[in-house]
Amino acid sequence: MNLSSTEITIFLISISIILFFARGFGELLRFIKQPIVIGEIIAGIILGPTILGSLFPEIYNSIFKQYNSVAIALHGITILGIIMLLMMTGIEIDISVMIKQGRKSFLISLLGILCPFILGFFTAYFFPSQLGLADSGLHLVYSLFIGTALSVTALPVVARTLMELNIFKTEIGFSIITSAMLIDLTGWLIFSVLLGIIGKNQSNNFEIHEVILILAAFTLFVFLFLKKFIDKTLGFSKKYLSSPGAILNIIFILGFLGAAFTEFIGIHAIFGAFIIGIAIGDSVYITENIKEMINQLVTNIFAPLFFVSIGLRINFIQNFDFAFVCIFLSLSLIGKIIGTYSGAFLSGFNKNESLTVAFGLNAHGTIELVLGMVAYESGLISEKVFVALIIMALITTLTSAPLMSIFIKKSKMLLKLSDLLKPQNIIFTDVDKKEELIKQLCINICRINNKIDCEKLISRVIERENQMSTGLENHLAVPHARMNIQTPLAAIAIHKNGIDFNSLDNLPARLIILLITPENKPELQLELLSEIAVKFSNKNFIEELINCEDANELISKIKQLY
Amino acid sequence: MLFNKLGLAFTFSPNALALLKIAHRLQKLFQSELFIIHAGENSNEVHEKIIKVINEADIPDNSYEIIIQEGEASKIITNICEEKKIDLLISGALEKESLLKYYIGSVARKLMHEAPCSILVIVNPGNLLDSFKRFCVNVDYSQLNETAVKKAYEFAKLENAKEFVLVREFQIPGLAITIYDGGEADKAEKTRLEIQKEEEEKLKIFSDELGLTELEVKRVCLYGKQGWEIKQYAVNSNSDLLVLSSPQKKLKLFDKIFQHDIEFILNQLPCSLLIIRS
Repeated sequence: MNLSSTEITIFLISISIILFFARGFGELLRFIKQPIVIGEIIAGIILGPTILGSLFPEIYNSIFKQYNSVAIALHGITILGIIMLLMMTGIEIDISVMIKQGRKSFLISLLGILCPFILGFFTAYFFPSQLGLADSGLHLVYSLFIGTALSVTALPVVARTLMELNIFKTEIGFSIITSAMLIDLTGWLIFSVLLGIIGKNQSNNFEIHEVILILAAFTLFVFLFLKKFIDKTLGFSKKYLSSPGAILNIIFILGFLGAAFTEFIGIHAIFGAFIIGIAIGDSVYITENIKEMINQLVTNIFAPLFFVSIGLRINFIQNFDFAFVCIFLSLSLIGKIIGTYSGAFLSGFNKNESLTVAFGLNAHGTIELVLGMVAYESGLISEKVFVALIIMALITTLTSAPLMSIFIKKSKMLLKLSDLLKPQNIIFTDVDKKEELIKQLCINICRINNKIDCEKLISRVIERENQMSTGLENHLAVPHARMNIQTPLAAIAIHKNGIDFNSLDNLPARLIILLITPENKPELQLELLSEIAVKFSNKNFIEELINCEDANELISKIKQLY
Repeated sequence: MLFNKLGLAFTFSPNALALLKIAHRLQKLFQSELFIIHAGENSNEVHEKIIKVINEADIPDNSYEIIIQEGEASKIITNICEEKKIDLLISGALEKESLLKYYIGSVARKLMHEAPCSILVIVNPGNLLDSFKRFCVNVDYSQLNETAVKKAYEFAKLENAKEFVLVREFQIPGLAITIYDGGEADKAEKTRLEIQKEEEEKLKIFSDELGLTELEVKRVCLYGKQGWEIKQYAVNSNSDLLVLSSPQKKLKLFDKIFQHDIEFILNQLPCSLLIIRS
């Protein structure tokens, strides 16, 4: 069957309108520093039955409803969008990094899933009607779905927030991103089992245990054997075929085939795309460049079609139920925050760091929209529940970054020199021997931290100094040592006349920063030293610091650097 | 001394003679004891056959000890290393493995994972009777890694190496996905470049802190999958010895399915490999 010329025209116009509105509202939201996806949902609400359909039903019908074939074609494209979106999410999940992070991300994600899942499951199980269950035959599945819907975390939102807060490379940033990956992976595994069960209730003939077995076999086959084949195929394409075109081509072929397979066996296509995505992302031939190309294509063309299509299908005003929104929002906040907070706290983060982790992982974002859409399409949830889930996802996404930012500032993670300095750690001195100055700085640190063995500290710093001078350029010296401590410590001496430190430029040291770091964290020492070398490279700034008359002035000037 | 007791995992392979010569050269270089370990039938005949190859390699009679034991090769060699307090085990390289062998594990791979001491795996021993000239050393900033880099450096000095390269691999999981949802590719690239700069500065300080001043030290920071990038670098720069510190935890099957950094290298060695254990 072919589309008529009119149908093709309407189809192309509708796609153009969707993309135009998606981009327009997306950019508007970006302008006010909010996620573009919210703009895309708003575009859908405006173009759909909520606004356009109510105000100008004839225009709405002529574009989106008049031709059944156009509606089917649009639906096909949104399916492509959702499959690509899930494949892209899979590509970004790096299981080897998760394994490396080990206990921390395991604990955070375990409790971050279990807590909201249990809360959602039991609330839905014991109060099904209050949580919107329409078909009592799906009682158990529905409860499982609510549990899963409250557990998911949106990896892209988390990644963006980490970049904006500049904590990507920190221990806490690494824990958050790896936990988000693990939560995503587990959430999709649980959801795919649910989809299999729903599928059983609808059409196919698999029992629940069969669905789980098939899923496990498919996943194992992909990770044990297909992953190696994918890697070799991509290597071959890179070497012998036109690159990166051929690699992109193969990625999408594999993703679509995986999606087709899981759809065929009665689980939704998105699961296959997700698992194949993980296997593809593990290949050494998938560079950042290729990942970005995929991301650009998917997020600028196909994903907007999907997100706008949500609003095209549902009347948000008619289906808005304040009670549902409040219930889902409270359940999600309570479950997720308590779960991730406990996980982070038990794995060794302090109170504020744990809250940073908790709010970072609380963003449900686009993943929730995909999950809701699939559940809605399969008849598991009502329109009202779907709308409530969308609003819950948007609110948690919007609040994630600002809340994280508050707690990260409070968390005193001691990531930077400016975090370590206190007025009592600043001394103004005029001693004439390097060793004497080092002693003064060490005693200053020991006076505030009486657990440190001062003699040992002095001998370690001097021993390090004798090995090779720590005098840098522009009157700066950074004597340092490692000790058996938990968090780094610093003290600063200002020597107005200068003292010989065998500096690289032969100038006397006038700003001397003593840095003590934990013995078991060699990388932290390197990070702080390299930060000092970079931040204090300006000669005029060091002059300004040396001319400071009191400790508070010096600290506030240093804080300006950060 | 750098290594006080050397062990050589001896098999009757075409490379046996070349390996013995290398072991003897290193024995002289490190001024250490040499134990020639053979897992197989413990008979006079086998003993004599080994002596014959040793004589061919011109190793003086009083400078080695032969140990022969029957049983599973990797277990025997591991036990003897423990018993004799061997601190460097020398072994021939493993062949390229089939998928099945990859998951089950060969003798050489087991030794690389389980030997209680440092292990030197020689690729193409026949071509390497002179010395190691190009060292490529992995940096991960762990405490063990500091020891590994120092040992590699001392080794390179003894070998009078032409090139000593410190390679730091780094990666930012999730960075590419930040361009999703309105993120800009330029911003992601800028973040990556900033982190690259930080890594370069850290690597410089790392080598300064270790006082590596006698040989010229080249420093390279590579963005990408750990294990894979250094392997590619070793191939492209014609390195003849790649030095790593051993993984900090015991690797499990999971680390093979989702390859641990070291598995990329063990899978197909780019050149001879020295894994340093504490």
